[in-house]
Amino acid sequence: MIDFVAALVGPFRDIAGQPVFFVEVVLGGVFAGLLYSLVALGFVLIFKASGVFNFAQGAMVLFAALTLVGLMERGVPVIAAVAVTTAVMIGLAFVIERLVLRPLVNQEHIILFMATIGLNFFLEGFGEMLWGANVKKLDIGIPDRTFMVGAVQINELELTSAITAAVLVTVLAVFFQKTRIGRALRAVADDHEAALSIGIPLKTIWVVVWSIAGVVAIAAGIMWGAKSGVQFSLSLIALKALPVLILGGFTSVPGAIAGGLIIGIGEKIGEVYWGPLVGGAIENWFAYVVALAFLLVRPQGLFGEKIIERV
Amino acid sequence: MTATGAPRPLLEVDGISVRFGALLALNRLSLTIPRGEIAAIIGPNGAGKTTLLNCISGFYHPYEGVIRFAGRDRTHLRPPDVAALGIARTFQNVALFRGMSVLDNIMTGRVLAMRGNFLLQALWWGPARREELAHRAFVERIIDFLEIQAIRKTPAGRLPYGLQKRVELARALAAEPQLLLLDEPMAGMNVEEKEDMCRFILDVNSEFGTTIALIEHDMGVVMDICDHVVVLDYGRKIADGTPEVVRKDQAVLDAYLGVAHRD
Repeated sequence: MIDFVAALVGPFRDIAGQPVFFVEVVLGGVFAGLLYSLVALGFVLIFKASGVFNFAQGAMVLFAALTLVGLMERGVPVIAAVAVTTAVMIGLAFVIERLVLRPLVNQEHIILFMATIGLNFFLEGFGEMLWGANVKKLDIGIPDRTFMVGAVQINELELTSAITAAVLVTVLAVFFQKTRIGRALRAVADDHEAALSIGIPLKTIWVVVWSIAGVVAIAAGIMWGAKSGVQFSLSLIALKALPVLILGGFTSVPGAIAGGLIIGIGEKIGEVYWGPLVGGAIENWFAYVVALAFLLVRPQGLFGEKIIERV
Repeated sequence: MTATGAPRPLLEVDGISVRFGALLALNRLSLTIPRGEIAAIIGPNGAGKTTLLNCISGFYHPYEGVIRFAGRDRTHLRPPDVAALGIARTFQNVALFRGMSVLDNIMTGRVLAMRGNFLLQALWWGPARREELAHRAFVERIIDFLEIQAIRKTPAGRLPYGLQKRVELARALAAEPQLLLLDEPMAGMNVEEKEDMCRFILDVNSEFGTTIALIEHDMGVVMDICDHVVVLDYGRKIADGTPEVVRKDQAVLDAYLGVAHRD
């Protein structure tokens, strides 16, 4: 018993003893967390605009990354490849609106959710049919090397990804909180019919939101792809975004950011300091345990709108 | 109250029919609503009243007939385009943006009037800022008008039913509509709330000059505040005229009270 307590408390002594290492661990968590936020943000945008959990967000990340790598393998320069991929994702938004969403206006949310599951399988299959299923290396010209700031080691690729993610997240947060489109978006999420009746064009809103979700998917695809290669498992990072959403609240942009950071930092610290205690792999389940705890205590998440049911 | 000298009525519905499968919900229905009046559409349940409203606001499209608004054919427009023309509506089962505050609900109703650059808006800068402030001022006027100052910050979903109906009216008014369609604005209200709503409808009509078409089951209300009553039954118009005339119409009495079989 005493051994166990000592093992639990011991890591705190390590933290105090080696502050530089601790800062490095936290930074690693921040980098990972910002990427989680970015993926979660894709979900939040679509959820806010249509009340639908977009099961296909992970597949969109994979599809975007596959398209980008596929183009670059055929000799297209990075900038042009990113531009073409962006155009493809926006085109995809138009197609999704026309073929999937428009026929399902005013249907139950569960029906739209099922439609996104179908979309998920389609995108995974279509992407691999076009570009092949083997693991591809994505090299966007940012070296994967480290440099020192004071005593702290920082990875250049991670830093670039984190800054890009932070900029994207900030721009999107401002866009949706402060603009007319943001308000229209919340309106569409609350009530399709009422939104239509006051003159909000549902079609435009959906295309805008899915386009933005597509662009966010490109960013996420590049960052994760550059780290661990472009492969089928990219679509699984959507699973990591789920606990982030539960933590932050499905409807909250700041929630997605905070949730991503909490999970990113929490799992890194847990893994490095308390991992040995349980034989490691804390990183793999930490997020889900946190999510489970939140579902029990505060199901709307940290920043979500309180769920009110009148009976 | 009818504006005299106006060459055409604001709304002309000319022989429209709507079919849901085997059910003929509207059967060659024609009616006109002159500018500036308060018109009531009444009839037993299932008579096609809400279907008519849905046609006017673009949610349904009749398979025959024409709907003209301010003289222009707009039978096949979609709801956002109808709203852009200046037709606002409320819904039978209150369709508010439940998660938003009352103020945001009403501001959202002004979405069509707001045309500023969204980038400037995001930065809360320059013309966009002045525009937002001007819209706020108008919205404040509506809030005062409908006496909902006390609940402006409350999420709409938490309000009691009567107040939700009032907020829905406020959101519709925020668009400064020429024609306001109210689907049972007083359903489920107590006497006091009904009196308030009647007063608001009359005030909107006289102060903003808004033409109003409403569906209502409370005959006392209809007879008191409306200039003109249209009675529907089984998708057909069975009477059309002033409250006094309609009240005594035999076809209306039959529709409401039933008739003895004569065969």
